[in-house]
Amino acid sequence: MTRDEKDIAARKAAAGRSHDFTSRKRATLRRRGFLKGAGGLALGLPLLHSLEVEADTPPPIKRLVLMYNPNGTIEDAFWPTSGGETDFVLGEMLSPLEAWRDKLLLTRGIDLKVTSTGPGGPHQRGIGGLFTGKELQKGEFADGCGSLAGWANGQSVDQAYVDHLGVVTAIPSLELGIRATAAEVRSRIVYGAPGSPLPPTNDPHQVWSRLFSGIAGDPDTRLVQFDKRKSVLDAVQGQFALLNRRVSNEDRQKLEAHAEMVRELEQRLQLAANAGGGGAGSDACAKPPDPGVLAVDDENEMPRVSQFQLELLAMAFRCDLTRVASLQFSTAINDIRFPWLNSMGQGHSLSHAGTSDPDAREQLVKRGKWFSEQLAYLMSMLDAIPEGDGTVLDNTIIVWCSEVSAGNTHSHNEMPFLIAGGGAGRLKMGRYLQYDGVAHNKLLVSILNALDVPVDSFGHVDFNSGPLSGLEA
Amino acid sequence: MRGLTKLGVLSLGLAAFLQPACSGDDEQASQGGGDRLVCEGVNTVSAESRLLTRLQYDNTIRDLIGLDLRLAEGAFPLENTAKGFSNNARAHQASPLGVEKYLEAAESISAELSSDQLGALVPCDVASADEACAARFVTDFGKRAFRRPLTEDEAAGLLKVFKDTAPKYGAEEGLRLVFQTFLQSPQFLYRPESISVATSETGAVQLGSYEMAARLSYFLWNSIPDDSLFTAADNDELRTAEQIEHQARRMLEDPRARAVVLDFNRQWLGLDRLTNVVREETPGVDSGMTFDSMQLPSAWTESLERFLGEVVFDGEGSVHDLFTSPVVYVDAELAKLYGVDAPAEGFARVELDAKQRAGLLTQPAMLAMFSHPDQSAPIKRGVFIREQVLCQPIDPPPPSVDQTPPDPDPNLTTRERFAEHTSIPGCHDCHKKIDGIGFGFENYDQLGRFRADEFGIPIDASGEVLEATEERLNGKFDGAVELSNRLADSAQVEDCIATQWYRYATGRVENDADGCSLQQVQDAFQASGGRFKELLVAITLSDAFRYRRPGSQDGAQ
Repeated sequence: MTRDEKDIAARKAAAGRSHDFTSRKRATLRRRGFLKGAGGLALGLPLLHSLEVEADTPPPIKRLVLMYNPNGTIEDAFWPTSGGETDFVLGEMLSPLEAWRDKLLLTRGIDLKVTSTGPGGPHQRGIGGLFTGKELQKGEFADGCGSLAGWANGQSVDQAYVDHLGVVTAIPSLELGIRATAAEVRSRIVYGAPGSPLPPTNDPHQVWSRLFSGIAGDPDTRLVQFDKRKSVLDAVQGQFALLNRRVSNEDRQKLEAHAEMVRELEQRLQLAANAGGGGAGSDACAKPPDPGVLAVDDENEMPRVSQFQLELLAMAFRCDLTRVASLQFSTAINDIRFPWLNSMGQGHSLSHAGTSDPDAREQLVKRGKWFSEQLAYLMSMLDAIPEGDGTVLDNTIIVWCSEVSAGNTHSHNEMPFLIAGGGAGRLKMGRYLQYDGVAHNKLLVSILNALDVPVDSFGHVDFNSGPLSGLEA
Repeated sequence: MRGLTKLGVLSLGLAAFLQPACSGDDEQASQGGGDRLVCEGVNTVSAESRLLTRLQYDNTIRDLIGLDLRLAEGAFPLENTAKGFSNNARAHQASPLGVEKYLEAAESISAELSSDQLGALVPCDVASADEACAARFVTDFGKRAFRRPLTEDEAAGLLKVFKDTAPKYGAEEGLRLVFQTFLQSPQFLYRPESISVATSETGAVQLGSYEMAARLSYFLWNSIPDDSLFTAADNDELRTAEQIEHQARRMLEDPRARAVVLDFNRQWLGLDRLTNVVREETPGVDSGMTFDSMQLPSAWTESLERFLGEVVFDGEGSVHDLFTSPVVYVDAELAKLYGVDAPAEGFARVELDAKQRAGLLTQPAMLAMFSHPDQSAPIKRGVFIREQVLCQPIDPPPPSVDQTPPDPDPNLTTRERFAEHTSIPGCHDCHKKIDGIGFGFENYDQLGRFRADEFGIPIDASGEVLEATEERLNGKFDGAVELSNRLADSAQVEDCIATQWYRYATGRVENDADGCSLQQVQDAFQASGGRFKELLVAITLSDAFRYRRPGSQDGAQ
């Protein structure tokens, strides 16, 4: 993982602040409520930002969610068929989002231009470039044309935001999968660093335990627990340093990346240990029931798994355990069926059938509607959490897309990008904007800018000139 | 990788100091049909440190502390794969989630250890352990956890945990925290490849005995060395081919080797795909059978795993058996499907009609895996054999192609429907290589049952192998049994299986520098008559397994 010294220093400073545990902060914490019962590695209720509540103008907490579904969309069922910038009429696939019209930003005419570079097949290049803005590395995944593709060659936009935030929450980011099986380039959407994809967790029970079990509830016990963990993790760092002297440059890079993750984990544990110390009050954040054992690979369970994942995501935001998440529905080139929709075609094959096959089209539209329903459910939960003068949804940016625009052409033009949420106070929502084939790197820059990350480029150097015009209020 | 001729020439520039010689010779052709390399001296490959897989982590804990907890399997993130293998050194990496899980696991395992169990690892009473005792624990336990004696600095760093925490939390807790430190240290989580100096004679680094002990144990057992290996390493007796071979043969008789073969097969064959497959009767077909489709995936998996255990470990243990044995393992549910008597409990070994079943490719689980939910999938079957059995990758179809399987139709056989679908000009060039093989399996439906007809129309299971590297594989055949018998004695198939095992053993997809080592392994495998145990022994004796290219480090000490 390549992180510059400045960034590390900034995060150390942030961790240092949280460690500075004053009585003023205690008071703040007592006012906020904390998780009742045992907490996770995480726990973490009121974290660093809560310490800033008493500042004169607390900066809003901004959140990012990336959402992905595979194999493209059906163009004329996804994009508005009539109306203009503000009086657009939602396509059939997006109809479940009608109630959220004013919190949608449809950006048409954005291309994954980066897919014109690098190795890999169309699904691979698309999924790798979607949120990284980068080409694929050379590697060992077979694809067409005899070339071999590896992982995406860049960090994804969500992880750039995680790095920008530094250590402010117990969990850096939540990667949630819904039947996102396999562990290849076609099944990974976010990257901590070039060539380092982050694995999604498909099992809601595991997500639940990560978020809500494992850290002692009692403040004194918790501080003791952290003191022990610190001894262990500091010594682990020492072992990394010793081993690093004995390995090749290539291995050392790998080990240093790992050691950096350990360092950051320690900082996050410290944050959780200190911040969780208050008592009481608000019922805003509550440990949800354990989803228990689910057959997460069973096609019939997919709706239930999705519902749990969305609810856990909403609660993680509500409790400020993290500010960054991704939602991955299955993988590119999958065989999945949607029995509860009576849609029994196998995902990838179905998408190849094209729009002229009425049955395939109908099935794909049904699935698209179902994805829209999932998004609507997430939005409704986030909108139910008050924050400042508005809701958590207002401060959240959700970006939804697929790795190709249409399964039967594998096109990377006019990608089905949908932005949802309140735009974090920066994006002007409730609009349908049409562009003329601009690189999606610009959109990624705009997303980061809206999250107050001051970048003017993101991803591949050839496609990264500034933000997308017309998005901001 | 047989096409190494040009690459061999390219590497000649480096050969003087890295690689004595590895160049191709177009004139010689192996039985497998490829070019043979001329190999001299020691052929080294750069080796990268490898992170333990979930399976290796669980096995390591079991063999290290005597508790078979298997915490990693369900909790750690899936390994990233390369060519289907989860133990690839480059693909399988740490992640922030993984690092959280290492902490969690270390704490959970520590909590699972009772005071008595901890006491068994510590050379004194845990409650009253002093610093001298903790130091001995670090040295003794550490040697097994790190698979080599600790350096002084390493031991001091671990002992410091005890010194810092025992006064506050008691001696036992201090020891437990040292234990947790071990389990998160890179020397435990990785199998590191230390930089070391090459001998001037070969330009290669021969692995030290401790490194060799760990390479052997993680290849053949997916776990740490046992006492015998440690003793051999203590005496520096893992240097010669004889010493290594002696250990490898001993280790192959241990049940842990059986588990490794299973792990390999799961990845080579992609058996994860069987989990939760749904296979139903074709619409309009009434077989008169009732079965519980929810129970089939796990039954098929176990049936296949038992079959693989038998053909690799029992009897001859050869490629020939793998492709010809008519044995199928059935439980009560599977017995109904394949028309044999149900066992009273568990699984029974039955021999099905040898005219209908011949080895791996006709195993019900394989046939079901490569099917659609309601019909057979000749194309999936053909692609699998091309790619995983013949090692001849197929390009995916162009995007404009409609890949929806045609719906079942009572007036047409599956073959007729798919043939219509793939006889289109432009598709034919690739599909003749796939379909010619896949249609040979039309005697088996999506549930792996043998069938002589579909909707009363007789099955045509004739096929043709085209463009195999090994000339004698090419040509027409009738049915999967005939094809399997042809593959059973094929050098190309043996070479392909050897290549797959080599990837698994080295944690790498072979590159140019692997050519000579791989050829050593393939030659030995063929010379043995395709015996799996000989293949595994041959891998441990290959240059790539015993040596590495000297690594470099800026400012190394």
